[in-house]
Amino acid sequence: MQWYYSKNGTQLGPVGERELLAKLASGEVSPADMVWKEGMADWQPAGKVAELASFAAGPSLVNSPYAPPSVQSVPMPGGASIPNYLWQSIVVTIFCCWPFGIPAIVYAAKVDGLRARGDIAGAMAASTSAKTWCMVAAGIWIGLILLWILFAGAAAVFSN
Amino acid sequence: MRGDRAGWVALGFLAFACGAFFLRERGPYGLPWLPECTFHWLTGLHCPGCGMTRAAHATLHGRIGEAFRFNPVGMILLPLACVGVVIEILGWVRGKPLPFRLNVGAGGAWAIVWIMAGFWILRNIPCPPFTLLAPP
Repeated sequence: MQWYYSKNGTQLGPVGERELLAKLASGEVSPADMVWKEGMADWQPAGKVAELASFAAGPSLVNSPYAPPSVQSVPMPGGASIPNYLWQSIVVTIFCCWPFGIPAIVYAAKVDGLRARGDIAGAMAASTSAKTWCMVAAGIWIGLILLWILFAGAAAVFSN
Repeated sequence: MRGDRAGWVALGFLAFACGAFFLRERGPYGLPWLPECTFHWLTGLHCPGCGMTRAAHATLHGRIGEAFRFNPVGMILLPLACVGVVIEILGWVRGKPLPFRLNVGAGGAWAIVWIMAGFWILRNIPCPPFTLLAPP
């Protein structure tokens, strides 16, 4: 589901629901900021949208250093489904290129630990980083192979 | 179920199957478009993934023992990782994750990181018990 959101009068997005929840959890989007997705009659404050309300309720407490520990240990909805990209990272490390696969594995390894400690925003950030490194590793590998095919093709053409 | 995603997955699977077919037929040295491991080319050392192309070729011909000789850690981790990735891909195509995941937990994930780091160092030690970890 693609969400649009508005900050300081500028329309931003579209972003996925998980990404918007991460922005709400980190405080980048506040419960008062307007959000909209296809199917909604009009823009609404993020705090009023039922699907986002669980995160919007306690926006900055999740990663605030001043939050009492009890708040951090409250299991957040959606926390159980943060993808850790561990297997994807291992595949790109072994198959593609490890200089980008290894950071992906390290970030992937952080996700579950952070989630277990209740740091949902941190776990989501690590999850995003792991995903990004995986995509970079896979992208570079595919790019390299395409370049290689181009070169091999060019060499074959010119040698004839 | 999302049609566009299913299409991408089918395309990826087709590319993967083509790669596997050519690897099986022409061997690890018969693929001019497959670049050699840059790390090995630059340093002469083995990275944690070195030997996997040869191991995959041996596996495709049913020579599992030989495959383990080329990269023992990869031969254990890669099939596990493939199962994990297939579960994730099925969830992605479906639009929501499957109810189960191949999950090793935070401790298991860190163990994999350290196993790979240790393997990387050990397989580059040039004396007998460790040379077994390097591709022949």
